[in-house]
Amino acid sequence: MWWKSLSVVLILYVLIAGLLVPLKSGIERVAPDALRCGETVTLRLYGYNTFFAKNGDQAMRVWLTFDDQHAVLAESAQAINDTILEARFRLPDCLPKEKTSAYLNVIADHPEAGASILPAGVEIRLDSAGVENGRADSLWQMHPVENLHVQTGFSYPYQNVIYETIRNTYFHVPMWFALMFLFTSSVWFSLKYLRDAKPEYDRKAAAYAESGLLFGLLGLVTGMIWANYTWGQPWSNDIKQLMTAVALLIYLAYFILRRSFDDPQKGARLAAAYNIFAFASLIPLLYIVPRMFASLHPGATGNPAFGSQDLDNTMRAVFYPAIIGWTLLGYWVAELRFRIQRLEDKKMGLD
Amino acid sequence: MNWKILPFLLRKEFLLEFRQRYAISGIVLYVCSMVFVVYIAALRATPPVWNVLFWLIVLFASINGVVKSFVQESGNRQLYYYQLAEPVALLVAKIIYNTVLLLVLSALAFLIYGLVAGNPVKDLPLFLLVLFLGSCGFSIAFTFIASIAAKANNSATLMAILSFPVIFPMLLTLIRLSSIALRLMQDTAYMRDILNLLAIDIILVTLTIVLFPYIWKD
Repeated sequence: MWWKSLSVVLILYVLIAGLLVPLKSGIERVAPDALRCGETVTLRLYGYNTFFAKNGDQAMRVWLTFDDQHAVLAESAQAINDTILEARFRLPDCLPKEKTSAYLNVIADHPEAGASILPAGVEIRLDSAGVENGRADSLWQMHPVENLHVQTGFSYPYQNVIYETIRNTYFHVPMWFALMFLFTSSVWFSLKYLRDAKPEYDRKAAAYAESGLLFGLLGLVTGMIWANYTWGQPWSNDIKQLMTAVALLIYLAYFILRRSFDDPQKGARLAAAYNIFAFASLIPLLYIVPRMFASLHPGATGNPAFGSQDLDNTMRAVFYPAIIGWTLLGYWVAELRFRIQRLEDKKMGLD
Repeated sequence: MNWKILPFLLRKEFLLEFRQRYAISGIVLYVCSMVFVVYIAALRATPPVWNVLFWLIVLFASINGVVKSFVQESGNRQLYYYQLAEPVALLVAKIIYNTVLLLVLSALAFLIYGLVAGNPVKDLPLFLLVLFLGSCGFSIAFTFIASIAAKANNSATLMAILSFPVIFPMLLTLIRLSSIALRLMQDTAYMRDILNLLAIDIILVTLTIVLFPYIWKD
């Protein structure tokens, strides 16, 4: 059975690559985080997975950017150690747009570790009333952000809020893929059972549903662990969490229905019909309803984090094998389940 | 399929109801007592609470109204129908009858609840449309589930655990739409939700018609 070996190999690969590959360099925070126009200030950058002290022959560059066209380059950047960097800025007298305060992004470019960005890292205020905004644009435009280095090698994107939990992408997300494949197989065998009442089909439908339920629970648990770190609590009654819980209730009801008949054939037939009915109502449950409500969950409502743009090529190299590996593992579990069930049925004289 | 039998089946359903009359009067009393319990529990319900409680009343009244549709007739009589009519005609008759029943029930619930707990509905046509679509959806889903649950011994429990998860997306959409009708939410694009609701109804009715013959035969 080549696909069972494949699933083991893929999952081992996912475990090793998913847990060992480091994150890219990132900036965790900046102090002080409130600045005034016109002052000369020394910013302290606290890095994560950074190598500020090992910058080779090229110097590090640090920018504060207002938007794509407007940025201020640090006059000097001095590494205290690998994770702390001091950058000296002479801030312009005014802001490029008609504003009294703005959030600036902090970009640090390291010759080897590449560029890292802290979005809205510092707030800048304009408190001298006499200065007109939009006047001395030159200082903002003198050193545009350019020639950024890209970190080569195998590493995952650094994202604020998510940090190291980005690795959960290879565990949480594939669970749902596996669940969809398994439930679809279950419905397929339920359909076959209704067309041709062989006990084999019923056993397969039940086994795939059981395995799918297992993956649903795992997906829920991995999601809750993730939510604990990124949303602050494991269960926040998010619409996707609720929908998932309800979807799993459907399959629990399916198992109760299967067992509530004395005549196994009758139970199998009714359960098959309910399985198809439930699956059809599961699709709106999982794909339509969450889009109608505000959600913390990335994806549907357009909040950032995990759109396709956030899955870089390194992550894809682990993510797609993870989907295949976990799905195959699910099929393996289901196969074991229905083989056991077949033996038990034979022993009972039902087959 | 032979549709000529449909009017007779429908007539039979209404006649049964009219003769016994215990079902409809029981359900009406159920709605009344539930409205009063809710009223006593949450005297002056704020509109959001009103909305949720109203749909809970309709939901439970619907389940109780529909659950008897397959249980009330004995096995022998079901065998008789099985020889007379095709299962789909029987199912369609049941669905139409249950839809009418649920429409009456939800209208009654709205009237009594509105009378007792006040009526915060601002957009009445939309609310009535939502009520209509909700009754249709409930009747389709519950009729199908009732036909499954009737085959088991503990049908009331089974009815609840089988139907709640299935009805959940519909219920969420209904509550959302009716909160738009109560002006609790501003959403001009509610046509999309109504279409969703219609789509769910159509999917459910198609599935029910396809699957029912397998449930019916024993």
